[in-house]
Amino acid sequence: MSQYLPGTASLLEDLDKKLMVLLRDGRTLIGYLRSIDQFANLVLHQAIERIHVGNKYGDIPIGIFVIRGENVVLCGEIDSEKEERVDLKRVDIDEILAEQKVELEAKREKEKLRLKAMQNYGLFFNADVLYLNKVKFKQIL
Amino acid sequence: MLPLTLLRTAQNHPMVSGSHSSDASLNSALISKLVELKNGETFNGHLVSCDNWMNIHLREVICTSRDGDKFVRINECYIRGSTIKYLRIPDEVIDLVKEEHNRKESKRPQVKERKFNKAMPNKFSAPKKKKM
Repeated sequence: MSQYLPGTASLLEDLDKKLMVLLRDGRTLIGYLRSIDQFANLVLHQAIERIHVGNKYGDIPIGIFVIRGENVVLCGEIDSEKEERVDLKRVDIDEILAEQKVELEAKREKEKLRLKAMQNYGLFFNADVLYLNKVKFKQIL
Repeated sequence: MLPLTLLRTAQNHPMVSGSHSSDASLNSALISKLVELKNGETFNGHLVSCDNWMNIHLREVICTSRDGDKFVRINECYIRGSTIKYLRIPDEVIDLVKEEHNRKESKRPQVKERKFNKAMPNKFSAPKKKKM
């Protein structure tokens, strides 16, 4: 297609191609784009969720996926030739899930520390965390 | 086939495989779906109906909390479309789509016949000829 179509219509070029979709919650989905609409709702066929930790990754097969357009951060075509050449190691689902858990936990710890430091300066930057630390917050007030 | 059309096809359909054999199996063979909300909760149940806003009506739902540690069984629930992150639907739905498509196609020729009646002049080809 030579002419660029503005808006969601530009996704029409990617129909039936292998796409990577990044969601707002940080998840990466890979599958064949079968359908779209004006809201950029997507239908992915033979989809997998790919979890990356360090230079390892794991795939979780999912099947058909209907993604509500709002939750998409980006999507892009996957070059299957390049995909094979990438220097990443594929591991089992269980293994990657375990590693992901460790990574998440570490992240949470780090976030806690940062929050503590921020609180010392009287700064609250995250509504979720604020809720968790409600008691502390009240004490300060 | 738009994403929402796919959902509509999935609603209230019994599963293809041997669904007509007995009523008991029919009930459990209604298309089951997994809905994840933006807040991370997931709802696993049978799709009863849905509409153009992606609002969804589910039966026999199992609700799982964000961290996957709490489970709640709900008989029936209605989910507002705007809170949904994504839906997972079983592969069989694709076959249903084909069936539905074929059914619609088989109805179409009648409409076409009406369209190209003798009484209707072929407006659209005339100007093209002039351009040539």
